[in-house]
This record gives sequence, C-alpha cells and structure tokens, in this order.
Amino acid sequence: MKYKDYYAVMGLARGASEDDIKKSYRRLARKYHPDVSKEPDAEEKFKDVAEAYQTLKDPEKRAAYDQLGQRPAGEEFQPPPDWRQQWQGGGAGPGGTSGGSGGFGPEGFSADDLDLSDLFAHLRAGRAGGAGPGFGAQGASGAMPGQDYEIPVQISIEDAFHGTEINLDLSMPEYDDQGRLRRVPRAFTARVPKGATDGQRLRVPGKGGKGFNGGRNGDLYLDIALKPHSLYRVSGHDLYMDLALTPWEAVLGTSVEVTTPGGVVRLKVPAGTQAGRQLRLPHRGLPIPKGEQGDLYAVVEIAVPSVVNDKERALYEQLAGASSFDPRAKVTGDSDAR
Amino acid sequence: MRVELTEVLWFEEHAVTLNELADLCSLPMPMLEELVGAGAILPLQADRAPPRYGAQALQAARAARRLQQDFDLDSSALVLALGLLDRIDELERQVRALRAKLPASIRS
Repeated sequence: MKYKDYYAVMGLARGASEDDIKKSYRRLARKYHPDVSKEPDAEEKFKDVAEAYQTLKDPEKRAAYDQLGQRPAGEEFQPPPDWRQQWQGGGAGPGGTSGGSGGFGPEGFSADDLDLSDLFAHLRAGRAGGAGPGFGAQGASGAMPGQDYEIPVQISIEDAFHGTEINLDLSMPEYDDQGRLRRVPRAFTARVPKGATDGQRLRVPGKGGKGFNGGRNGDLYLDIALKPHSLYRVSGHDLYMDLALTPWEAVLGTSVEVTTPGGVVRLKVPAGTQAGRQLRLPHRGLPIPKGEQGDLYAVVEIAVPSVVNDKERALYEQLAGASSFDPRAKVTGDSDAR
Repeated sequence: MRVELTEVLWFEEHAVTLNELADLCSLPMPMLEELVGAGAILPLQADRAPPRYGAQALQAARAARRLQQDFDLDSSALVLALGLLDRIDELERQVRALRAKLPASIRS
C-alpha cells in the first residue's frame, strides 16, 4: 500500500488545528471543486484534497493516520498489525462475517489490493463493544447502495457521427462474499450510439460499485466530450468549418467539393458571396438520437494571394481601373454627414 | 474478461420520477423538494402530472449533492449556486457557439 501525505496535500503542518484544516479545505475546494473550477486536472486534485480532508477532519481517523508516522509520499508500507485485527473483528464487514480469515493477512487479500483511502473511508468511529476506532463498512446492518462512477470519455467527431465502442478498464473497491473490501478490476466495452455530442451523458445502470445487503448497484455515468478536430467546430449537433475562396470565386460564384463527416459533397457558392457568410449544408452535421441530423455550415473566408506575378498584377490593375465598387462608401458617406 | 454492455441509456430519453431522481442523486427528499420548489431543478413539462425529470434535472441534482456534501451548503445556498452554475453553462455554450461560427482569421 502506498503512503499518502494528507498534510502535504492540504498544505498543512502536522500539528494543524481543526480550524486550519477546515480553512485549508475551503480554500482548496473553491479552487479545485470540479463543479466550479476550470483548473486543469481539477477533478484529480479535488479528489486528493477531499480524501485528505475526510481523514484529517475526523479526530479518530486523524489519530489513526498519525499513527502511521511521517513517510515520503508514495512509499510502500504495511498497515500496523492492530489494524488487521480491527478490520477482522466484531463482525464489522458488510457481509456480517465475524473473525473470518479475511483482513490483510496472507489467507485473505493483501493490503496491496487496497488504497489508503479505501481504509479510511471505512474507518468507523467507535466499534460496538470495543474501544477506539475500528474498520468496517458503515451501516453494515442496513442496505447500502453501491457507489456511482463518473468517467470522462473523449471521442472523435467521426466516432460521434458513426457511433463507436469504448473500452473502459476500471478498478473499483468492492466487498467480496466474505465481506472483505478489495479493489477489483472491471473491464467493459461500452457502446456509444451515434449522435453523442459535447456535454452529453450516458448512464449505464447498475454498472458502478456493487450494493450491499440488498442495496442497489451504483451506476456508471459517461461524460462525453468531443476531441478538437482539424476541420470541424461543434455547436450542439451543428458543425462549422472554414471555406477559403479566392476573390474571383467569391465574386463570380463557383462550385466546390466539401469534406463532411459523411463523405465528400459538392457545394454551390453563389456569386457575390461575402466573407463570414455561412453556407448551410442541411443534415450534414452530427446525427441526433431521435433520427434527425444537425447541419454543417461552411464559413466563408476570402483568401488573398500574398504574392502575384506580373500578369496577375496587370489584371488587378486593369480591374481597379474598370471597377466602380467602393467598399468604404458607407463609412465615407457617414463621415460626410457629420 | 470483457463484458459487453447493452444498457447504455441516453439521459434525454429516460425521464424519471421525483423518487427515482432522489434515489439516483442520493439527496434527501426534503432537500430535493426544496430545490424543485425554488425552481433550481425543473421537470421536463411543468404541466404534466406526475412530473418527470430528464437529463438536465439529474445533472443539477447530482451537482447539488456534490456541492452540499463538499461545501456543507444548505438549500438556499444550493439554489443560488445551481442558478449561477446554470448561467455559467449557458454563457459558455453561447461562447462556444459564437466561436464555432467565426472564420479562422478572426478566431485565433
């Protein structure tokens, strides 16, 4: 089991007061809480902070943690022997086992199966019939729902368009039939139907942590995010892409090939197309689950050559002489009016 | 061994009752009822009885539970926080939509 320095995570000295712990938690929660923070890795950082706070705010858990002594973060260690007894004793497990062969010993599972947070999450304040802290599932006599899990999933626009399958390899703390807590690898293949888009959520009922004593299994939530794409930008189920035109294509009109997620299509560009105009390709955006489909918009840019040869220059000069077009007429007119 | 999932649900297509919502978000029913009463969590159709709750409501209810648990917020503070988070989400959605419409020369 790896040691975690909860004091360092919270930026506290080991002798910090309860008030210091609460203040530090509030400061860090405001900075990293996933519902309010835009910091990179906020969710991971908040998990560490919350885990540290859950232990340090509780005097008995804190005392048990302090008993481990100060070690370098990440150092491997074995929990003290009396923790094993506390874990095993008193029928504390959710399965109601009493004095079984579980615990940290070689006959049960290894402490390597667990994370330090798993232990402290299940540290009960004051065991029935015994003094001092003990370990076991809370509410062992009642039904406990399994934990819900939220997993961010990034998929490409092409995957959202066609639907895809994603492989999830999770490690979930679960109680076995003997009531012993351990981390269990769970591997899933989740089918993401076509039409997923940014910010959408899929719920996979019953595939989160296992419930105990008749409690329902937790759910798995997949938070869908679309990966940035070199061609397309996403707004809901609509897609936007840049369409560069030459000045003469914009003036005269043309027909161009456009690559959409569903294949290449031909787009008619009307004569007199202005920069910034959005040319709509209906039903060429992302699918909508109920069978409809968003649109694709080509946003026009007029590309101007930075280098021209002699012939082109001569033609531009000829055009300048012949044209009566004044793009600043309105501005000039307004100035004159003042 | 890899397990094939067959029960992937779109939130948008599976509305739930208030009891089911409470169960899914693990909020105490009185607190959930307060949030609904204050308009922080809305049913899909206000005039339908019994009311059904969709993806947005579930997302808000789960956020409420996290905020209540992690910041020790009471119902009034939750209503305020959910309202502000909602506004931020809407503004961010508008910014993303506007950025998507801009040509590359202006966007960068």
